[in-house]
Amino acid sequence: MKFDYYFEPSSLDECVHLMNEYGPDARLLAGGTDLVVKMRNRLVKPKAVVSLNQVKELSRIHTVDDGLKLGAMVRLMDISKSDILTGAWEVVKNGAGHVSSMQVRNIGTIGGNSCNASPSADTVPCIMVLYALVNIRGPKGDRDVLLEKFFTGPGKTVLERGEVVVGFTIPNFGKENGTAYKKYAIRGDTDIAIVGVGARLRVDSHGSVTEARLVLGAVAPVPLRVPDVESMLTGNKLDDELIAKAAVAAGEACNPISDARATAGYRREMIRVWVKHVLGEAYAKATGK
Amino acid sequence: MRTADVNTINVAFEVNGKPYNIHVEPHKTILEVLRDDLNLTGAKQGCEDGNCGACTIIMNGKAVKCCSLLIGQARDATIITIEGLEGDNGLHPLQKAFIDHFAIQCGFCTPGMIMAAKAILDENPNATEDDIREGMHGNLCRCTGYVKIVEAVEAARDQMLAGGKA
Repeated sequence: MKFDYYFEPSSLDECVHLMNEYGPDARLLAGGTDLVVKMRNRLVKPKAVVSLNQVKELSRIHTVDDGLKLGAMVRLMDISKSDILTGAWEVVKNGAGHVSSMQVRNIGTIGGNSCNASPSADTVPCIMVLYALVNIRGPKGDRDVLLEKFFTGPGKTVLERGEVVVGFTIPNFGKENGTAYKKYAIRGDTDIAIVGVGARLRVDSHGSVTEARLVLGAVAPVPLRVPDVESMLTGNKLDDELIAKAAVAAGEACNPISDARATAGYRREMIRVWVKHVLGEAYAKATGK
Repeated sequence: MRTADVNTINVAFEVNGKPYNIHVEPHKTILEVLRDDLNLTGAKQGCEDGNCGACTIIMNGKAVKCCSLLIGQARDATIITIEGLEGDNGLHPLQKAFIDHFAIQCGFCTPGMIMAAKAILDENPNATEDDIREGMHGNLCRCTGYVKIVEAVEAARDQMLAGGKA
């Protein structure tokens, strides 16, 4: 897995400059738990590797007036144990805590988990149901992209030449919001998800859903939001019948592939099962039951 | 730091209490440097894609799989490998417990298992069986199973809680 150039810039601007200079021949190194393995297997062959490990400003997780800022280099283990992530935000802890093993969470980052652009990334449905904005720094300045518009295919994102993900902004949510994420894999968390399901439900005082977000992982080329199912839930109180109907609709909305982990049909079936669990849990949290 | 147009980078770090300052090709992994350049062959090269855990070391107090880390990521780090566990009083309680509880068969996974177990007990000296199993599920044994391994870790935990030398 040889590459020609290795850089460890200490500033973000230098990092952007290098990524702009080398363009598609360059890869960013965050934790490396995906990149190094891909380079060894020759799935990617960059000429230049640009490490983010000396850009200290990217490792912060903190609250601001209108929400939460998650730095791209915050390690998944630190997220999974963060005291800041309470209420609806707790789902992010849950997702980060289910990425692979202790050793991988100790080094893998929230930014890498998104930028790797795997449809099965565990943290993505969790922050996507929270309206996460991707904060990007590039040669032309800063811009934010809604996470659900960030992915364009497996391993592909809207990032343009020279652009670097700096972190994520997540808004505040009141306690009338309930969130849940569940991952289903054969070998526990160490394995990649066969399906992953994340949801956020906001309810009014009568228990009717006023807003729904449902995101399915590992069953489409990108982490998939399912607006049809969301609108089916909105305006209603959730009971077993509606949850079952939503689960069937989610199974129909996804577009899974067959691979070494599972067949497309099995994935579709598992979406039906896990959507039920996730909606039930999110609703219970939102209604305080 | 910009290191373009050179074939090697300079990396300083500490392994088992000993400082190193090496010139190395940046595409080498920490595992390759430990094994090939420093002759520390305790950490094993297993699956090489971050699944099996045989290459587990402790870096800056945390267990990591060093087959999937580039050597540049070890800059200024403090690393402990299985070779660094033995103290003045002989084997570490974990090493002793693995032997006493027959938690080793072929032994290939053992250094990684022990380093993962050490990281778990360092963070939580009272780790329960569930904590231990949760922490170690990223380490594979292909000989037999995990019952003896977990028993050994629990025995080492009890011994260290009772004041045994770490």
